[in-house]
Amino acid sequence: MSNKNNEEPVYVNKQGLRLDGRKVDETRKIKITSGVLPRADGSCYLEWGQNKIIAGVYGPREALPAHTQDPTKANVNFVYRMASFSVPDRKNPKPGRRDIEISKVCGEAFEKTIFLEKFPNAVIDIYVEILDSNAGSRVAAITAASVALADAGIPMRDMVAAVAVGKAGGHILVDLNKDEEDASDAVDMPMAILPSTEEIVLLQMDGVITKDEWTKAIDLGLKACKKVYELQKNALKEKYIQAESSKENKVE
Amino acid sequence: MSKRLVVPGELVSEEAKRTGDYVYSQNGKIYAACVGLVNDESPVADVVPLRGKYIPKINDIVIGIVKKEEFSGFMIDIAAFYPSFLSKKEFRYSLRPGEVVSVRIEDIDETHEAKISDVRTQQGGTVLTITPVKVPRLIGKSGSMLEVIKKGTQSLIVVGRNGRIWVKGGDINLLKKAIEKIENEAHLSNLTQKMEQFFIENPAKITESLAQNETDQKRRLYE
Repeated sequence: MSNKNNEEPVYVNKQGLRLDGRKVDETRKIKITSGVLPRADGSCYLEWGQNKIIAGVYGPREALPAHTQDPTKANVNFVYRMASFSVPDRKNPKPGRRDIEISKVCGEAFEKTIFLEKFPNAVIDIYVEILDSNAGSRVAAITAASVALADAGIPMRDMVAAVAVGKAGGHILVDLNKDEEDASDAVDMPMAILPSTEEIVLLQMDGVITKDEWTKAIDLGLKACKKVYELQKNALKEKYIQAESSKENKVE
Repeated sequence: MSKRLVVPGELVSEEAKRTGDYVYSQNGKIYAACVGLVNDESPVADVVPLRGKYIPKINDIVIGIVKKEEFSGFMIDIAAFYPSFLSKKEFRYSLRPGEVVSVRIEDIDETHEAKISDVRTQQGGTVLTITPVKVPRLIGKSGSMLEVIKKGTQSLIVVGRNGRIWVKGGDINLLKKAIEKIENEAHLSNLTQKMEQFFIENPAKITESLAQNETDQKRRLYE
């Protein structure tokens, strides 16, 4: 609580703008670049507000040790790690309870969309490294990993688009930043969907929320996810369109 | 012929078409399963992928590298998820680890492990790589692109479907540049004409004679 008088800041002012000048249904600025790691099968660099994330996908490749192999489908090995310098106080680089939980739920979100049955006995490794974080890093990690998977050419039913919704100061907000997450009545609800079917593949929540607020939050979240999906699509297509236009210049 | 760029989950066709590779159908509509190109005028709904690993298919010719010799056969890396096993029953010549062979995929079991046959050793030469999904572009319609490249570089070329290319003789540096160009521009049309132009601008500089290669190959037959 940065406020000296111990008063809650005004999370949404009379003009309907938030602490950082965003509207209630507006996400932070998102920048996605695909294919950044030459040695990975697929990769993605993402900036989401202050969050900076790099994701690399390797595989499908032989799952080792052999007892982890599943002859009916491939395994998804999602590894979420925060760099020690990604938070204000140094984070112990040893994977903690939180890293392991996020790795598990994010991996399960991707199990829903990848055609795993095409790659028996194989493993698909997704490594996500958080270089800088400011609330909502797990949804950013999912968004980046989804682009990296598509960049690796792994067959998928759909992309996975994710966004966090929540409550601060009695208002339902999209994509909370750290200040809003620290509100006394804060609710944080990360969600990930398959955009074409609106199927929810990840939904977590902490805090107290009423049923009406929950419905409103889900609606706002779905709309925001669709916007994230458009950005993912553009990032993947950009690379090929760029190559095309540079080619045309060369011919002239 | 217009081609459309799609990402996973994007609609390929609303009509009931025959489905090809890298698509799936849901509620009577056909969706893309990977990043690739769609030709809307084609009678088959399929996506030509722009990225991806090699998935073995029956009757593919691939370039393999011998990994190790075992009591009853050889382990051969064909750049799939698993190395393939070649029994000494079927192949009575000896192979050394690191040797390059071209093989035909005879059969694939339900775990995508490939059974291989028609082994031919490739003596000498170099192995280059290309993204496996771009191999059809390297070969072109009924081998047209490959003809252009062979003529342009004067090299002996064996293209494996797994993205490995065995080359010998001719201007290898020029060939590397040509392959890189194809890899970068695989999603564009009229690539064969562009490559013809490329070879006119960059003629091959031959240092090694092809005749030498042919004698090498003949010698190998008697070994």
